[in-house]
Amino acid sequence: MARITYIEFGGREHVVDVVPGLSVMEGARQGLISGIDADCGGGCSCGTCHVYVDPDWQARVGGRNPIEDATIEFAENVLPNSRLACQITVTEALDGLVVRIPETLR
Amino acid sequence: MNAMGEGFVHWDPYDPKYFANPYPAFRRLREEAPLYYNEQYDFYAVSRYEDVERGLGDRDTFISGRGGILEIIKQNVPIPPGVFIFEDPPLHTIHRGLLTRIFTPKKMAALEPQIRAFCARALDPLVEGGEFNFIDDLGADMPMRVIGMLLGIPEEDLKDVQHRANESLRTEPGKPQDYSGHSFAGQGFDEYIDWRARNPSDDLMTELLNATFVDEKGETRRLTREEVLIFINILAGAGNETTNRLIGWTGKVLAEHPDQRRQIYENRGLIPQAIEEILRFEPPGPSVGRYVATDTEFQGTTVPKGSALLCLVGAANRDPGKFADGDSFNINRARVPHLTFGYGFHACLGNALARVEGRIALDELLNRFPEWDVDLANAHLSSTSTVRGWETLPAFTPKARRRGRSTPEARREAAEPAAAQAPAGAERWKMTMKTPMGPQEMVMQIVRAGDMFSGRIESPMGSEPINNGKIAGETLTWTMEVKKPTSIKVSFDVKIQGDTLTGHAKLGLFGKAPVIGQRA
Ligand code: FES
Repeated sequence: MARITYIEFGGREHVVDVVPGLSVMEGARQGLISGIDADCGGGCSCGTCHVYVDPDWQARVGGRNPIEDATIEFAENVLPNSRLACQITVTEALDGLVVRIPETLR
Repeated sequence: MNAMGEGFVHWDPYDPKYFANPYPAFRRLREEAPLYYNEQYDFYAVSRYEDVERGLGDRDTFISGRGGILEIIKQNVPIPPGVFIFEDPPLHTIHRGLLTRIFTPKKMAALEPQIRAFCARALDPLVEGGEFNFIDDLGADMPMRVIGMLLGIPEEDLKDVQHRANESLRTEPGKPQDYSGHSFAGQGFDEYIDWRARNPSDDLMTELLNATFVDEKGETRRLTREEVLIFINILAGAGNETTNRLIGWTGKVLAEHPDQRRQIYENRGLIPQAIEEILRFEPPGPSVGRYVATDTEFQGTTVPKGSALLCLVGAANRDPGKFADGDSFNINRARVPHLTFGYGFHACLGNALARVEGRIALDELLNRFPEWDVDLANAHLSSTSTVRGWETLPAFTPKARRRGRSTPEARREAAEPAAAQAPAGAERWKMTMKTPMGPQEMVMQIVRAGDMFSGRIESPMGSEPINNGKIAGETLTWTMEVKKPTSIKVSFDVKIQGDTLTGHAKLGLFGKAPVIGQRA
């Protein structure tokens, strides 16, 4: 299990224990976290699973892959630590990861 | 188990026997011929999820620059720059990036009130009677209005286009009318571009005109007028056609699954997943073509460089390895990404808009018609190598059925006025135009008068008059102004020999399309 902290735009924190192998997006869905619409279901084609990786975790999580780079243009307010949550696979090494959810669409 | 009868698995995108239900053939392809070769048309097809995903996603091996449609790839149709859906890097990356920022989910979600208003206007007048048509009343109307609004074409002018179309219906046979030069529709969107350049506003056209970017030569510049025109034509076409088909499939599939429709009616929070399931189950674009740029392997067999490859999205979306019981419709299934909007760098730019439109359309339909039946006897399904969906799909509520609906004869007569009123000496021709958006079936009816002729062409895009009809021996030339899915002037040049007709049509900026026909 990897414990992941999701911080909503308003500052509310949710801690979810995610099974390694799932994505950070799927972990959010299981934890019923709002603000990650994930319209395409993890296909890296919609850009609605945008999160900011906590700077302390950026190196361990790694950067965006090329398709992700193209798709993240759908998102607003993209920063250097922006990732698409469906493209981050949870591993034991990410136990303790903190991600922030941008302002939501709806 | 299947309709094919023979031992060998066979599928071809043009054969009508697969239109209504291609899925048994898709299943056999996945199981028996995951890399399928069709000798007749010389193309390969992949049908398993991972293969389709790779075909769509590996943009270096499977390129788009030769077109994404089988006919275009095979005929090596030249594609002008700006047709971004058929480009490769670096141009594609540049053009797509420009548009991605314009089609963000956030901007599309902000359109909700207007989209609801368009739906209300289309559907409200039909509530009383309880009879409506998913395509004619909603699918062919709302998405067109949304695109018109996004582009900044004033509502009055959208009406003006329709008005001109009605006006031209009154053209007398034997008197060709010349619209060229003064018809806004005939010029496509270009008069608007010039007007917008002078009168900037808060719309997509203005945004495209002003967007600056670094081009492939490293120069910072704006889009040329021609590039903007091509972009807009493609966006208008894509934005209309596919969402229209999504709305049709929503009507058909939910009519066949009334229990799930009731669940959605009672819990509108299920709408997003219901739309995803409809997109998976009946993708409006069931196959996507690619040109194979280097020798590659699928399922242990080499596909040589230079081949045309069809990625069967409709088959991959039901691959049991990915979707348990994929042939059944289930809005509550575990979410796995379907490939309807493609995958990777060429994934559909308009996916957020299509989703918003599909969701709102379903919500507004349910608000007015909690239940409906579809009248398949009077519906019409069309299928090309790119788009599969309903051209017309009448529906009625249980109340309307009890009251007794209009007779089929009356409806048929209303649907085919042209055939009923054929003037003396009229010739009818069934034609196929192989356009970049897939083959287009049309019926032409003409009357000759010396070295001139007049008449009309009926097609799924509407009914349009023939302009400038000229006869020189066996050769007939004319122009036609198509208004849907996008305004474009089409110039025809064909040769008639006996009962066959061959030639080509020039499609505005989209190049030439072959035309063939038979006397009907
Ligand atoms: S869920 Fe669509 S891009 Fe991540």
